[in-house]
Amino acid sequence: MGELAATTIVGIGGFTIGLVFGAVAQRTNFCTMGGLSDLVLMGDGRRLRAWVLATAVAIIGTHALHFSGAIDVNKAIYLSTNLGWLGAIIGGAMFGFGMTLTGGCGSKTLVRLGAGNLKSLIVVLVLGSVAYMTLRGLFALVRVQLESATNIDLKTHGLRNQNIGEMAATVIGLPAGAARAAAAVAVAAAFLIFCFKDAAFRRSPANIAAGLVIGLTVIAGWVLTGIIAADEFNPVPLASVTFVAPVGESLQYLMTFTGATVNFGIATVGGVIVGSFVMAVATGTFQIESFADRSDLVRHLGGGALMGAGGVMALGCTIGQGVTGMSTLSLGSVIAWLSILGGGYFGMKYLEEGSLGGAIRAVFARG
Amino acid sequence: MTNQVLDAKGLNCPLPILKAKKALKDVPVGGTLEVFATDPGSVADFEAFCRATGNELVESTQDKDVYRYLIKRLN
Repeated sequence: MGELAATTIVGIGGFTIGLVFGAVAQRTNFCTMGGLSDLVLMGDGRRLRAWVLATAVAIIGTHALHFSGAIDVNKAIYLSTNLGWLGAIIGGAMFGFGMTLTGGCGSKTLVRLGAGNLKSLIVVLVLGSVAYMTLRGLFALVRVQLESATNIDLKTHGLRNQNIGEMAATVIGLPAGAARAAAAVAVAAAFLIFCFKDAAFRRSPANIAAGLVIGLTVIAGWVLTGIIAADEFNPVPLASVTFVAPVGESLQYLMTFTGATVNFGIATVGGVIVGSFVMAVATGTFQIESFADRSDLVRHLGGGALMGAGGVMALGCTIGQGVTGMSTLSLGSVIAWLSILGGGYFGMKYLEEGSLGGAIRAVFARG
Repeated sequence: MTNQVLDAKGLNCPLPILKAKKALKDVPVGGTLEVFATDPGSVADFEAFCRATGNELVESTQDKDVYRYLIKRLN
């Protein structure tokens, strides 16, 4: 394949994967923040389980691809030997808190934009700009300082990557490959049991379908960037679905189009918006929406900025770390995922109580 | 007869649910809460909310861009 071909394949393939993601998320109301809020506000765990099912499906597919030799998932950023634990904690918490302010994570924002919500357009612009500022701009200075001061180089500890199975095996002296496979089976099984032991989830075909399809889009991303578009003369970075840095890159791509090259992330962002748009029009739910009042605007600006900066610091969002990163069983992804959940829970309490102090009291009152 | 009215127009998930949950506390058992919202996602949200919290969704209607929900507090 020539140089142009690999880029074109990644572009068309990524757009198609995004299209499916957007259409399905729009139709099934898939939402990671919504899953958390359903559980916290009304004790309904079905949407949260759709997210967990997506992660379980992605873990199974990712490890099948890895152990069959089809892709080397160690090349994905999530498994690098550079463990950014503090960025995962701080960034994850910022992202989780931010997504409650905007009423949805990065992907949900793109889905809403496709369905006509113009608040989401503002969130996309803020999230993307702040993400890029944290990636390469002014805020990158702070991020790089933080990372160089706290990141742990796992190579100096005799580790080859940050897969939790391999790390545990190295510590207690077991074969790395076997431990890695065992960890994947154990986590995927635990997640599947968590999902399907719930009768309400079993009776919810929309949530089951959402979990399966979102999980499959992550697997499709690996297949596309790791196998179909693989070109030894022009290597495509091994990547899959994530929605923070790519939103920033998409804005930059649109502004510098004549001199820019599309990548997987940019293509998926476009696909999600178009997929959601098509589904919203087809189902008659397309509707132009605007801000309710001043505090609504402030919440969306703040939430977008927190998600942009936090998502880059944590190397991903509820999808990028919560599904794609988790599918590699990287320690950093586990830390980021838990931090996002913690930040999201705190954000929900903040919305409920109306102040940070009230939210802190509410969290501790519950123990 | 409606006991309480909540205007959640222009707000997105999770705020309409969150505000409804709060407003419902001020409604006597057997009384009703009328909610107006514009978020298309609120249709599924209010169905799930009523089922999960054991309250009755008496009416769920749509007039152009505005969704209207009539919730009866049962507990």
